[in-house]
Amino acid sequence: MSYTEQQIADMVQPTKVHRSLYTDPEIFDLEMERIWANAWIYIGHESQVPEKGSYMTLNYGKVPVVMVRDNDNDVHVLHNRCGHKGAKLVDRPCGKIPAFRCCYHGWRYRLDGKLLGVPHLQGYDGTDFDKDDPQYSMQKMTSESFRGFVFATMNPNPPDLRTWMGGAADVMDNLCDRAPEGEVEAAGGVLRYEHECNWKMFIENLNDTMHPMIVHRSVVESALDYIKTLPEGSPRRDEAEIIPPFGASYETFEETGITGFRFGHHYDGGKTSIHAKYTLDPEYEAAMLKAYGKERMQEILSFNTHNTLYYPSLTIKSAVQNIRVVRPIAYNKTIIETWSFRLKGAPDSMLKRTLLYSRLINSNGSMVGPDDLTAYFRMQEGLQSQASDWIEMHRNFARDEKLEDRMVGKGTSDLDVRTQFSAWREYMTEAA
Amino acid sequence: MTAVITSNEKIREIEQLLYQEAACLDRPDLDAWINLYTEDGTYWMPAIPDQEDPHTHISLFYDDRVLMEVRRRNFVHPAAASKDYDVRASHIISNVQVRELDEKSGDCTVTSNFHCFLYYRDKQTPYAGKYTHELVRDGDRYKIRSKRVDIINCDATLNTIIIYI
Ligand code: FES
Ligand SMILES: [Fe+2]
Repeated sequence: MSYTEQQIADMVQPTKVHRSLYTDPEIFDLEMERIWANAWIYIGHESQVPEKGSYMTLNYGKVPVVMVRDNDNDVHVLHNRCGHKGAKLVDRPCGKIPAFRCCYHGWRYRLDGKLLGVPHLQGYDGTDFDKDDPQYSMQKMTSESFRGFVFATMNPNPPDLRTWMGGAADVMDNLCDRAPEGEVEAAGGVLRYEHECNWKMFIENLNDTMHPMIVHRSVVESALDYIKTLPEGSPRRDEAEIIPPFGASYETFEETGITGFRFGHHYDGGKTSIHAKYTLDPEYEAAMLKAYGKERMQEILSFNTHNTLYYPSLTIKSAVQNIRVVRPIAYNKTIIETWSFRLKGAPDSMLKRTLLYSRLINSNGSMVGPDDLTAYFRMQEGLQSQASDWIEMHRNFARDEKLEDRMVGKGTSDLDVRTQFSAWREYMTEAA
Repeated sequence: MTAVITSNEKIREIEQLLYQEAACLDRPDLDAWINLYTEDGTYWMPAIPDQEDPHTHISLFYDDRVLMEVRRRNFVHPAAASKDYDVRASHIISNVQVRELDEKSGDCTVTSNFHCFLYYRDKQTPYAGKYTHELVRDGDRYKIRSKRVDIINCDATLNTIIIYI
């Protein structure tokens, strides 16, 4: 290894980070080993494996894994690797199987990964091969779920998931509480969007409230320009509530505030956010009122966050009910997945709006996401310049307020990125 | 679905409209393109094969007139950084088949295969798939009431799709 511990620690200073964090493939590999293997990484939602034998596959960093529901209804996250010669056992995005059976020599495994059978076993007689030795089973990852959201880690001594989430868990609670039945389920599929940039550029943008009025000016002005041509009394459109707030003023974003936690999590908003003024669907309101009563309903609906990051792999929008999942591929390549969720007990119009949002803002064909991505790949390319080795993050430095379990700052503070990089430094140096 | 046999002349007229639309997207000229659509026209690019509904499943695009109008403006807006690059396309349309035809009104549903090369930001990306156009008679011409674009890799990991295909 060419970096010493001290050199790595020095790459993150209180108000600046070194450009190698984005441009050096070796740093990327170290991040995979030290951050991505030690943090809790989002795998999927339990509703995506609804029945015994349902599975979904994904890559955890570079490691192929499968989330599966076994015959006791327990959900496991297993390495998707045959105990014999290593073939991936399932290779579709999702499906349903009675047991795992390898396509190569037919080894069979229970749904919890235990090796069940090896064809023509007598060939092993007299050797020290033992079919019941756990090393020949599918290997299980440590996994835990919070309100149906499943995370896994390769850390042998992880903090429990709830402790790790800290105060950021409030937002995931809020997402689920927004369902009259108190539960959400994945619905309406996924978009997978290739980003030619480092994974950190995407998550650093989540609470970057200094960019929307610049980057999204074109779509906001195009929408407002068109709205102007409409005759008075034209029907209300969700799009007209979703797009224009991206052009909100610095003052408006300032008010939303940013809250950061240990392990790199943070959110913007709380009392208000760019999603706060959405029309409340009357049928949904009635269902919520019935489920929770007026006071509790108002409490749930007035907790209005924008993006919440569970560092490093998951960002959620509780008010919109969609999430984005970060899948790093290389130092300059990342896949961003967008999933939408149904609020159980809510009318179909709610999922329809969530899907509209995902399509309008996050899709490959949208008029919002591609402009963000343009900023990322320009940074990725611009940082090849050695004009300076540093990227600054001074905004509101030393003016954020430290509370017992969190830091709070104004909406345009760089508190969010400083929160991420203090976690980066902790993972990258402590875990070695 | 079997193809409806129709006159040579009719097929010609329909093909000409598909070519005309493709030519608008080749340039691309969304101001001319939008005029080929009816006021209630839609442009849909599903995110899975055989997708049944644009509202219960995510799509890559689903624009009605309102979003077409916004997109038309956004595409040439000087502040849109993602549009800061030349966009050029070349569409080839073939296998044009009339699937449904209302003899009286002339309204019809037409499917075709397309290949489209899209040049954007120093990269050329091929798209291929099937178009389904719903055409309605408007005086002495046809207009597009809906266009469905099923790209064969709709559920793969994709990069930005900067313009209608
Ligand atoms: S590699 Fe799986 S059975 Fe041989
Ligand atoms: Fe943005």
